[in-house]
Amino acid sequence: MFELAIKIVINGLTSSLVYILMALGFTLIFGIMRVVNFAHGELYMVAALLVYVLVGSWGWNYYLVVVLAAVGVGLFGAVLERVLFRPFIGRELNGMIMALAISITLQATAFILFGPDEHSVPRPISGVIQLGTVMVPRDRLAVGLIALLILGAFYLFMRYTKVGLAMRAVVQDEEIAAIHGVRPKFIHPLAFGLGAMLAGFAGALMAPIYTIYPYMGSQPMLKAFIVVILGGLGSVPGAVLGGIVLGLSESVFATLINTTVATMVSFGIVVLILLIKPTGLLGR
Amino acid sequence: MTPMKSLLKFLAIIAALAVLPFLLRSPFLTHIGVMICLYTALALSMNLMLRIGQISFAHGAFMGLGAYGSALLMMRLGLPFPLAFFGAALAVTLLAWLVGLVFLRIRGVYFVLLTFAFGEIIVLTFIEWVSLFGGSGGLAGVPRPGWFGHEIQSRDGFYLLALALAAFAYASVHAIYRSELGAVITSLDENEALTRSLGIDSRRYRLLTFCFSAFLAGLSGALYGHYLTLVTPEDYGFGVPVNLVVLNVIGGVAHPIGTVLGALLLVPLPEFLRDAKQYQVLLYGILLIFFLLFMPDGLYGAINRFRRGEKGGTQ
Repeated sequence: MFELAIKIVINGLTSSLVYILMALGFTLIFGIMRVVNFAHGELYMVAALLVYVLVGSWGWNYYLVVVLAAVGVGLFGAVLERVLFRPFIGRELNGMIMALAISITLQATAFILFGPDEHSVPRPISGVIQLGTVMVPRDRLAVGLIALLILGAFYLFMRYTKVGLAMRAVVQDEEIAAIHGVRPKFIHPLAFGLGAMLAGFAGALMAPIYTIYPYMGSQPMLKAFIVVILGGLGSVPGAVLGGIVLGLSESVFATLINTTVATMVSFGIVVLILLIKPTGLLGR
Repeated sequence: MTPMKSLLKFLAIIAALAVLPFLLRSPFLTHIGVMICLYTALALSMNLMLRIGQISFAHGAFMGLGAYGSALLMMRLGLPFPLAFFGAALAVTLLAWLVGLVFLRIRGVYFVLLTFAFGEIIVLTFIEWVSLFGGSGGLAGVPRPGWFGHEIQSRDGFYLLALALAAFAYASVHAIYRSELGAVITSLDENEALTRSLGIDSRRYRLLTFCFSAFLAGLSGALYGHYLTLVTPEDYGFGVPVNLVVLNVIGGVAHPIGTVLGALLLVPLPEFLRDAKQYQVLLYGILLIFFLLFMPDGLYGAINRFRRGEKGGTQ
């Protein structure tokens, strides 16, 4: 019983960290630009495909590629903001439709280039670690630790740098922030790029664990949606809390019953939260 | 144009469309006609949502529930087609009312995210609940529609049913926009605070719109299932609402005729590109980006501007 509980918690927390990576970027982009980024899952997919090509086919070092893929996807995100999203600032519906358009365009492109098959890359780490009587897969543990590092770096960046402060100011009130010299022209692509980079990290980290295919982004995106509704849209601490709640509840129900029930339960939790506190756990 | 005159014009157009397959005598073209009619009704139901500034990603699920519902009511309970058809659509409407009560509690994009999650859950249920919905294989051998022993076998018959549905959808959506309800819907998107200050319960109007929109999606889904005689979960996923948004944006959201235009132009495409579905999706994506950036009013807006320009030129 005790072993099972530890197993559930460890599994839950390792998935939580990846959900948080996805949800943080999503919520940051929404908080700053009011854009619901339906292409977030595709940014995850693009990073995984980069890993597939660079590591799987060209044999580059995996860890180097993780950083390259994340930075690449981040730059791609900044370009998307500059070219495609900028005309829709303040128009939520059209921004949302633009994100949808980007999402299906990227999916179809990936499908045409790589086909419908599920690809995989060799795992950089394998085997299990014995923690007492509990077995933990090493690769999941490594992903968890790296994700934790990224989240720590993100926190420090938002908390202690001038740019991070500016971003938090824009989330609260863009006009007042502008009066104090925060230029949206500078903050918007940066926030979009940063959010995209977090999705890129998540995709590159999960690439060796799951299979890689054009529609792989839809599940993590669904998870990100649930996390941000749980935590409150636009709230960074909310995304962290929501990610932990989702990861743990999924782990409990997936271990005890099955993954479908786990997904339905997490949706049930969302409905419940909305009935009690419509703006999410930490929403304003 | 007076209301009487425009009604006559509408009826004349429908009558002309109704005799079309009997003149053309091409099963392939009739099939395309059926698809255009079904998608017109579906796209109009999404048009209602876009008008209140929302996207509903639950519309694939509503369509699927209509299809599964009507098929199951006929197959399991042996209900006659009209009862199963409307019964399923009413059940979908009831479900929309229930979820709408929760989902519309908060304004803005939460609704969109929630409908997305809801749609995924429903499709998951179709796949997992094998004893009722038949799993990934779905339901095969869905009965054809019939009326007092007369079964509709021919494509022409289906075309007439689908045309009637599209005409009903167009007439009702058009009537809604011209009514007080339509005025409220438009004002909700433009300035909700002002609308509410007039004592209008905005949530009730949103809920009403959502329910009627779901009703149309349920009807179209039910007919779609009977037409294909096969209902599979993959037909009712995320792709459906995305396609409906594409039809609306490219045709033009501002007037239901734009939606019809979008369906007329884009629905035949996948039927011709059958083996290259991904190229169709890619084309949809690129067209959508192009229209959003350069022609945000869609074809309807462009045609309108062109006509106005021409009139201005001759005067």
